[in-house]
Order: sequence, then C-alpha cells, then structure tokens
Amino acid sequence: MKRFSAYEFPEYVDWRPDPEVQAGFAATITRDPERAALIDALDDDALVDLYRGLVAARLHDVQLKRWVKQGVITKAWLGSGEEAVTVGSCAALGPDDVVGPMIRNAAALIERGVSLVDCFAGYLGTTDSITGGRDLHIGDPDKGVIPPISHVGDLVPVMAGCALAFRMRKEPRVALTWTGDGSTATGAVHEGLRTAAALGAPLVCVVQDNQVALGTRMEAAYRGDFTAYGAAYGAMLLEMDGNHVLDCYAATKRAVDACRAGDGPVIIVARTFRMGGHATHDEREARELFDDAVYRHWGQRDPVGCYETWLVEQRGVDRARLEAVEAEVAAQIDAAAEEAKAGRGVREPDPATVTDGVYAAEAG
Amino acid sequence: MATGNTYIEAVREALLEEMKADERVFLLGEDIATYGGAFKVTAGFLDEFGAERVVDTPIAEAGIVGAAIGAALMGLRPVAEIQFLDFLSCGFDQLTNFAAKAHYRWGAAIPIVIRGPGGGGVGGGPFHSQSVEMYFVKTPGIKVVAPSTAADAKLLLKAAIRDPNPVLFIEHKALYRAPALREALPGPDAVGVIGEAAVRREGDDLAILSYGAMVHKSLEAAAALAADGIEARVVDLRTLQPLDDEAIVEAVRRCGKVLIVHEDTRTGGIAGEITARINERAFEWLDGPVTRVTAQDTPVPYNKGLEAAFFPQVEDIEAAARRLAAY
Ligand SMILES: Cc1ncc(C[n+]2csc(CCOP(=O)(O)OP(=O)(O)O)c2C)c(N)n1
Ligand SMILES: [Mg+2]
Repeated sequence: MKRFSAYEFPEYVDWRPDPEVQAGFAATITRDPERAALIDALDDDALVDLYRGLVAARLHDVQLKRWVKQGVITKAWLGSGEEAVTVGSCAALGPDDVVGPMIRNAAALIERGVSLVDCFAGYLGTTDSITGGRDLHIGDPDKGVIPPISHVGDLVPVMAGCALAFRMRKEPRVALTWTGDGSTATGAVHEGLRTAAALGAPLVCVVQDNQVALGTRMEAAYRGDFTAYGAAYGAMLLEMDGNHVLDCYAATKRAVDACRAGDGPVIIVARTFRMGGHATHDEREARELFDDAVYRHWGQRDPVGCYETWLVEQRGVDRARLEAVEAEVAAQIDAAAEEAKAGRGVREPDPATVTDGVYAAEAG
Repeated sequence: MATGNTYIEAVREALLEEMKADERVFLLGEDIATYGGAFKVTAGFLDEFGAERVVDTPIAEAGIVGAAIGAALMGLRPVAEIQFLDFLSCGFDQLTNFAAKAHYRWGAAIPIVIRGPGGGGVGGGPFHSQSVEMYFVKTPGIKVVAPSTAADAKLLLKAAIRDPNPVLFIEHKALYRAPALREALPGPDAVGVIGEAAVRREGDDLAILSYGAMVHKSLEAAAALAADGIEARVVDLRTLQPLDDEAIVEAVRRCGKVLIVHEDTRTGGIAGEITARINERAFEWLDGPVTRVTAQDTPVPYNKGLEAAFFPQVEDIEAAARRLAAY
C-alpha cells in the first residue's frame, strides 16, 4: 500500500518484502493443520476483506497523525503495527458477539461497522459519537462494541460478565477483549480471568503483548510467561503471531468455536510490537527504549506489507484489486475525517446539557 | 516573564532533597525510573539514586500502595506515584483499609506518601480529570494535602514525606507548568506544616475558601470584585484532612460571609463539610448563607464546552460572590 513518509514509522516508509520473512509468513499458515484448514476455507473475497481491514486501520491512524501534525488534536493512541491482532480477531466473530476494545484496538470499531465519522468524532468530542463528546473512548452496543474506560484491565471482568450472560441464556455468543502485556498486572485482569474460568464464561481474552507498556519494557514488569496463563487460570490457551492477520483470524476462530462449544474461556497470547510511542507525543522517546535492530526486525514484519505481499505473490490476488480496495478505503477515511472535522464548532454538545443523563430515566 | 521555579519543579525538588536527606526515602510507581514519569517529575532520578530507590512497578496500583505500606512497616519511607490519581481507585482498598486503619488497630504508623496529578480543566475527560480527594478525606487515618502554589508544593510534600501517617498528596496537573506560578522556592531546610491554611488575599466583605487550582480562579474573581469595592478574603485551605478549623472560623468572624469554591463535584465535596463545621462553631457570626461554587454532579466530560460548563469558572465565582456580598 501507499506509504506516508510524513506520518509513518521509517521502517514502514521504505518497506520492501524480505524473502525470508515472507517465507516465514507462509510457513505460519500451514504450521497448525486446524488453523491451516480454517485459512484454506477463506475465499478471495474474505481474504481481501481482511486486507481492507488492515488498510482501514492503518489509514485511520495515518489520519489521526495528520490531525496531530495539523494541530486538530493534541495526541492520538495508535494501533499501527498491531493491526493484525485486532482485525484478525474481529474477523473470527459473528454479528451477535461483543467486543471490548482498548484504544489501541480502535480498528475493532471499524471492523464492527461503527461509522468512521464516529471514530474520528470521538477524538473531536463532537456530538457525532456515541458519547456525544463526553468521552473519547467510544463504542456502540448496537454493533457489539463496549467502550472501555481508561483504567486498563477493567474491561476483562466486564467482558467476562457479558460472556456469563450468554452462557446463562444459552446463547451461542462470545465476548472478546484485548488486554495489553502491561495491563495484565492489574488486579482486574487477574480477577476477570479467574471469574471467567470459574464460571465457564465464553470469553476470549487476547493478551496483546507488544513488549512495552507506556515507557517501560515488558520484561521490567513481568518475569513470567504469558503462555503459562492457561494452566494457571484453568483456561484453554492459544498463541498467535500478532503481525499475521491470517494466524490471528484462525487462532481466534478456534477460540471462538471452543467458547461456543462450552469450553470457554480462552486466553490467546498475541506476540507483536509497538512501533510507535505510547501515543504520538512520545514517539521519539519510545524509540530509545529498544535498539534500532528491534525496530528493523518488527518493521520488516509490517502486518499490512507482509499480508499484501502474500496475497499477491502466493495467493495470486490481482494487485489492481488490492489497489482498488485501498483507494476506496482511503476515500472513505478522507471523507469521514472531513465530515467529522466539519462538526467542530457546529455539532458541539450544548453546555446546558452537561448534567443530563447521569442516571437512566426509564426502567429497561 | 515570571522567574523562579514551576510547581512541577517544586515537587521534583522536594523529592530530591528528601531523598538526599533521608536514605529511607524511596520512590515507586509506573514508568517513573527509565521513562522519568508520565509528567517527567522524576526524570534523571534513576541516574542519581539508582534502581533501588527509584523503582519502576508493573501497572498494579494495589501492588504499588500495598508495597509502600509493607516497606513502611519495615522502616522505609516510600513515596508512591500514581500516574493519574484517577487510577488510585485500583489501590483504594490498600489505602483505605490497610494503611488508614493500621495505627488505630495496632499502633503501627504507616509513613507513606501517595502522590500524583489530580484535577482537571485540561481536556482529560472522565478518567484523567477527577477530584479524588473526598474518598480519602472521609476515611479516618489518611491525611490529604492539595497545594496551590509552587512553594507550598515543595514545603508540603516535604512535610508529607516526614509525616508518620499515610498522606495523599494531590498535585494539580493544570498547575504543573503554569508560568504564572513560578516563584523562588524555599531552601532545603524549610518544611511546611500540614493542617494550616494560608490567607492569599486580605479582605473583610466576604471570605472565599478554596484549594488547588480554584485558589487562582478565586483570586481572579476577587480582583474583579475589588474593582467594584468588594474586598474578598481568599483563604487557601492547602490541607483537606485535617482541615484548619481555626482559619475557617477566623474567616467567618472577620467577614460574616463565606463562599466555598472547589472543582470537585458538589455532593460530598468538602464545601458540605466546611458548611457543617461553620454551623457548629461560628453560626452566630454569619451574615449570610454559606454558599458554594463547585463542579456539577456529573462525571468530568471530555468536550471542551461541556468541560467548561462542568468546572467552576471565574465568572461563576464572581457572580456568587456578588450575590453573597449583597445579601
Ligand atoms: C489502572 C491504570 N493504571 C495506569 C494507567 C496509565 N496507563 C495507560 S496505558 C498504560 C500502559 C498500558 O500498557 P499495555 O497494557 O502493555 O498496553 P499498550 O499501551 O502497550 O497497548 C498505562 C500505564 C491506566 N490507564 N490505568
Ligand atoms: Mg503493551
């Protein structure tokens, strides 16, 4: 896809496929027969949809960064480089399932069909988004998206509760959430996993290990091994390549199927890497946390570039088709961002409404 | 341009001096060592004091507060940073049940400081703007300090570190780098007194009691009132637990009219408590109803316009003061 030198990480700007990395990408697809079969069952349309999701996630972030540079917003929390975790997992869900994304999983909103205008409006605090400007953490329960709070970890027990409701009502639905490597230290994640496991809740909890939490490297905060969580919590555990959208799809599909069969919860450990800063304001500082070689390593594993290359070179998808998808998505993002921006100073919440809606008025 | 040090530099200086003066003092918190803290309060501390005394923790506020308590029980003087005080909710139990009740139960002093940025007005939304003070003011066994000036930030943080009790030290994030707050800081030997209010402006027509960032808004309002001949006494509470009852009674005696201003929400904010104390101790000096200007009883909204409507503004303080003065 087109790269944006002003907004993207240097490794992405000059990205070229590396034969060895691409061979590894292909090998991951066939490593596990069950996952291979799931991936094999995807037709070209489904495969291209995954590409569409990755491109939308990337361009969404590029747009946010453009806004930061232009001073439209002061900062943004990006999922760039980690898109496959969000997009792949969402692709394994059905329309009745629910997700609880953290802000780095903003792509989940797009995947679930929340309007792009709402996604951008969330940052602007206009009335377009579901919170009407009251919070930038948005979601849409009609699309099965529970908005997070800032307190990391807190979604895990909440999503366990969603899952519990499905189990109690014998509905074949699952709840899925993502938690960062750093956030696994919270009591909430621990209690949420213990609760979900004790109650057999159909919860998929993706531990999104991007190897860093804010300004502290993962190994300074955790000396254990996330893959031991399965045995520790009494839940099925899967691992997935967090930069590989097909592996994320297939692993999550297995987890979701297990949940629907009554074998939840499932913990999935996704190994990936945060290419940027905690947010846009500390990108330069964040680069000092790891050696350049680490950035080069993970940069080469760009989830968009690797997948695009695989689609064209291995799967034989016409490059023109992908370019058309990219152009379409880019136009949608542009239009949505423009529309959201046009809401500034126009679709602003009425200050007189500030005290409205603290309590629900009608019994449900 | 104002010279001297900012509020955040004052916090930094207090920590530096106390760490140099007392080797039992150490810091713990999220991203405070290598990264220097989310607000850079402790930038460079790791190099100066080493990883034994500047401790990066996992994202585990109960772990942070609890470990501070334990280390204090073993004779250390922990100063724990909570990245945003909103997140102290995750360590609530450790602070309110373990730390707060230890001395009452078994005579164990818990000399810990829990410090971090509180308050709003900077577009932080519902989870990076809250006033958490009253959860703790109402819990016997915890002191709560909320300085409004750079000098006080330094003096009172030093006092908090030397205090034998758990102290919640609320730094106002909107004041951290406010240029107008620059001032020359007191030297290394000066230490503040927890529990004493300060009169920031003399006046006899009414008294405005406030703390934190609202002290400055109150002073702005007082200046506007003075233009019309209304002289407001502005009292900076500085400490919310214990409250300086003498200063409050003194303000009532002198002015007869009291306006309490806080950016905390209205119900359960400190204004209610102060009003009750005035009724108990100084009712006969009152020449008008104790009045309050506070934030609205809602979460802190993200949108700028809503946020402005949520927090007290200078005009709100001024208007309430005029009504009270005319009463
Ligand atoms: C309970 C709580 N404590 C602290 C914070 C401040 N904070 C926000 S994100 C973050 C780091 C999260 O790291 P991780 O879970 O690894 O997610 P990542 O940002 O890497 O996606 C911290 C410390 C918070 N939001 N919530
Ligand atoms: Mg992380």
